[in-house]
Amino acid sequence: MTLAHYLTVAALLFLIGLFGVLTRRNVIGILMSIELMFNAANVNLAAFDRFLHPEGVAGTTLALLIITVAAAEVVVGLALLMAIHRNLGTAYVEDFNLLKG
Amino acid sequence: MLNLGLLRPELILSGLALAVMLADMVLPPTRSRWLYHLAWISAAVVLALVVCALAQPASRGTGSLWVVDSFGQFFKMTTLLASVLCLLLSLDYQALPSRHAGTFAALMLFSTAGLMYLVSASDLTLVFVSLELVSISSFVLAGFERSNPKSNEGAMKYFLFGAFSSAIMVFGISLYFGAVGTTKLAPGPAAPGPMLLLALVLIFLGFGFKASLAPMHFWAPDAYEGAPIPVTTFLSIAPKLATFAVLLRVYGTIFPAAQYGLQALVGLISVLTMTVGNFTAFFQNDVKRLLAYSSIAQAGYLLIGLAVGTPMGLEGVMLYAFIYVAMNIGVFAVTQAVGEEGGYGLDAFDGLSKRSLGLALVMTFCLLSLAGIPPLAGFMGKLYIFSSAIEAGRYWLAVAGVLNSVASVYFYFRIVDRMFFRAPSADGSPLRVGPYIYGGLAVAVAGVLFFGVYPEPLIAGVSASAHLLP
Repeated sequence: MTLAHYLTVAALLFLIGLFGVLTRRNVIGILMSIELMFNAANVNLAAFDRFLHPEGVAGTTLALLIITVAAAEVVVGLALLMAIHRNLGTAYVEDFNLLKG
Repeated sequence: MLNLGLLRPELILSGLALAVMLADMVLPPTRSRWLYHLAWISAAVVLALVVCALAQPASRGTGSLWVVDSFGQFFKMTTLLASVLCLLLSLDYQALPSRHAGTFAALMLFSTAGLMYLVSASDLTLVFVSLELVSISSFVLAGFERSNPKSNEGAMKYFLFGAFSSAIMVFGISLYFGAVGTTKLAPGPAAPGPMLLLALVLIFLGFGFKASLAPMHFWAPDAYEGAPIPVTTFLSIAPKLATFAVLLRVYGTIFPAAQYGLQALVGLISVLTMTVGNFTAFFQNDVKRLLAYSSIAQAGYLLIGLAVGTPMGLEGVMLYAFIYVAMNIGVFAVTQAVGEEGGYGLDAFDGLSKRSLGLALVMTFCLLSLAGIPPLAGFMGKLYIFSSAIEAGRYWLAVAGVLNSVASVYFYFRIVDRMFFRAPSADGSPLRVGPYIYGGLAVAVAGVLFFGVYPEPLIAGVSASAHLLP
């Protein structure tokens, strides 16, 4: 296992997440895709920290912070989804069309 | 060196925000308006602290996690000013549920504290964490009218785009770490590798979403239209300006765009942003949406200063940022006063001059200032930014900016036309204006007229604080 393997996995995760965000129609699906993108960054950070810059802790610290912040973000997203589901009865983004100009 | 004393304003603000949140649980709902007062007073106190510390010499805290320099202090000032005024505006906004007044006020303060950390961050770790503090509080604020489906929808779109942009930026930061070996912002190598360039572009895209630069602006009109209008005011001012502060810190000094060949990209985005903002604003019939596109276009003008990348461009952005606070507060305060009675359609402005001449005049001044017509303050700001582009030999940026300003006069005048040359639609009775809206209007008029006629003190202040600690 070399650095290139890890970076390839991370890049694939990021691209799958990007593809999911752009094509998914359900909010839960989009949230999961965004999580994939966050985790691609985590894989990157852990790999760089291990292979290129093993002397410091900056990379792993940032990865831990990302995990925490991503969890907080998802909590707020799910709360917003609950509110919108109560009012509109749907979780599909194409049905969110009250606002347009 | 652990130098927490430097963070005193931020720590005090966060502490007071927690106090407001706790007080919300203790106070009976009938007294909930006290919490807004407590919140705006705490923001004002911190503003006074920051203003007193303006002359303090620049220094670093905790290794190089954050710096306290006059550039950061300047943007803390604009952020706190916007926060105080928006909290005052929310005192006169009826649709906010009074049961959660403390949560609303506290989230506003948390968001402000996050912006203050953001403008003084000199490490991408702190940039990321403080940006998330701002974003997560803003998502909740935008959806605060829980039973209003428009507010829900605006907040949901804001959230999806915001989280997506954070993910892109974080991936950029991880690549930056790989290329440089640290998350600190320090001058990079003269010849960047492809990984560093990709990282810088991804980080720029992430910031672009937050500052609503085209083509990453799609969330802004929806979020602005759905959010309660004091929140719209806040979103259109504070996070946008703070994002520009970070962009200037990262791309203005540490990774000079010119050195990395990113200048053409930034210039192109700038022209695209103002053109898209102005030309889409032509077709809007909702005032909040129109102002959203107007603020997208304004971000385009600000970005010229960054694309130029000279000290004069930096000063131009700071000058325009300060004036932008006054102009936008004025426009949104009048819109709130009008919208509380007649809704946010453009026709709500019909015949405003016959109902409340004062409001109509303030609105006219602020709109003309946004369009950049002399002798109002917006003209000074634009003049400074455009001449920095000419000075640096980037004539096409200045030409695009001037042409766009001319085009923008059209849609700003659509509102003026309705206020002065139409008959009032329903009744001609004077508008009922809450006392706190006057606070916002006073600042707006003072800023727009005073600095338009006599800009020397502001220019002197800006050139004194345009020093970044690398």
